Amino acid sequence: MRRTFGQSLSLYGGVLVIVLAIGLPFWWVLTGSIKLPKEIIQRVPTMVPHSFTLQHFEKLLQASDFPIYLLNSMVVALFSTAFTVLLALPAAYAFFRMEFPGRNALYKTILLAYAFPGVVVLIPLYGLFAKVGLTDSPVALVIVNVAFALPFSIWMMRSFLATVPREIEEAAVVDGAPTTTILIRILMPLIAPGIASVAIFAFISSWTEFLFASVLIVSDARRTIPVGFAGIIGQYQIDWGLLLAGATAAIIPVVALFALVGRWFVSGLTDGAVK
Amino acid sequence: MKNTTLAFAFVSPALLFLLAVLGWPLVQAAILSFQDVGVIGSEGHFIGLGNYATILGGAGFWRALGRSVVWVLSNAVVQTLLALAAALILNQKFPGVRIARTWIILTWIVPTVVVVIIWRWLLSSSGGMINPLLIQAGVIERPVGFFATREGAMTTLIMINSWRWFPFTTLMMLAGLTRIPGDLYEAARIDGAGTFQRFKRITWPLLQPTLMVLGVVGTLLSFNVFDVIWLLTAGGPSGATQTLPVLIYETAFKGYRLSEAATISVLTSILLMGFAFLTTRAMTAAEADR
Repeated sequence: MRRTFGQSLSLYGGVLVIVLAIGLPFWWVLTGSIKLPKEIIQRVPTMVPHSFTLQHFEKLLQASDFPIYLLNSMVVALFSTAFTVLLALPAAYAFFRMEFPGRNALYKTILLAYAFPGVVVLIPLYGLFAKVGLTDSPVALVIVNVAFALPFSIWMMRSFLATVPREIEEAAVVDGAPTTTILIRILMPLIAPGIASVAIFAFISSWTEFLFASVLIVSDARRTIPVGFAGIIGQYQIDWGLLLAGATAAIIPVVALFALVGRWFVSGLTDGAVK
Repeated sequence: MKNTTLAFAFVSPALLFLLAVLGWPLVQAAILSFQDVGVIGSEGHFIGLGNYATILGGAGFWRALGRSVVWVLSNAVVQTLLALAAALILNQKFPGVRIARTWIILTWIVPTVVVVIIWRWLLSSSGGMINPLLIQAGVIERPVGFFATREGAMTTLIMINSWRWFPFTTLMMLAGLTRIPGDLYEAARIDGAGTFQRFKRITWPLLQPTLMVLGVVGTLLSFNVFDVIWLLTAGGPSGATQTLPVLIYETAFKGYRLSEAATISVLTSILLMGFAFLTTRAMTAAEADR
């Protein structure tokens, strides 16, 4: 099918608008992080940087607590990801490949948990964590992050499990392989994209989590990036260069991760969406 | 494969975990709402429905509820329109469409605090890009403070939140669009239907199920938004952007009225669960009709 000139024009015009609407703010942040302070706050902003400096990144890495926040965020995100995958995989397999009484009701309850406001359980959770001595501990953050990533992760595995023909498992059963072996040896490689999607979702959820990290973590040395940054934003004199460099540095890990497995993540997100 | 024991063994770790971290605290919140706990960790006494009388009798809860409704509805409208336009574009074939479909989600995968930094800076009156752009375009004469007025703050927040979330919605809609058989469009074209006719008669009606699911999920998700609001306006100016999650947070951690916050939490949960229950029932009924 060929497009008329008008159709092409509106299509590419639309594409351009989307690219600009999403890309331009990131471009400004990226370029802003290497501008000299006086160019950053210039009255007439520059599209392409006229100056070049790494002073903001130097300050970020040497004079701020950013490296500590980065490390904390990394540790919390990696553990959250690992536990989310460990819990979500078997649960998703049982929900979508096995029969058991109460399956539908349980599945719906878990889905409901996904849309549940975190702030509602924040107050009682704080009390519970205080009782067992887990406030101001990254363990508490991992527990919370896993709980909030889990429902969506189970749901996302659905479309990936659906792509595996049942015959493969049935053949393995005939051969007398125990179910756990089937799951680990045969199914795992086939649903690797799904596992990657769940992992990236869990990582991103943890990487961005602000609410619980702001309340459960008290000491500065244990803060994650979102909360650490919020502290800097709240200061009276905002050091934009430092913040833009920090924003750039906080974007890099998720973008790198996404560049590797983003395509699968998007398909997991969309294929599960309809039915 | 029928192996009930094994199935339960697979499901129970996740289930028990969710029960402990989300279910049990919910029960705790309910208990807390019948007590008079102030500061975290202090002892409470049973006071019956006292908190509920205070909350439901005061204006704060109802105002926050009203703001939440405005917030959810505006976000729904803005995001649906943006996402529909973007999804229709990304549903076409053009060079780079795969890349576009993946990377459109960029705004959603970066930390909220980064989104906050981006927009605080772009909208600031010193060095921000938006004010000079608007002045050049002749929309405004001098730099404006986007968060200075009540309406301005709310509108700006809705726009920023929509910017963050519409790519997510776009991908969901795209999934719905790709499920519409291409033959339908072909047949309509042969019958002489124009672009608009095809949209009205095929795309729009067949997209309804997707839109309904998005309506429910999107409502719940945007209702829950806390960090963007908190980090940009902290509910201000003078409470203009104080939605229910912000009110709960403020009551508990700034006002040190823990039991009252728990009461608002319980009321909020009842509202959301009622909404989820009614809408899913309506959707099931609509599905049965087709």
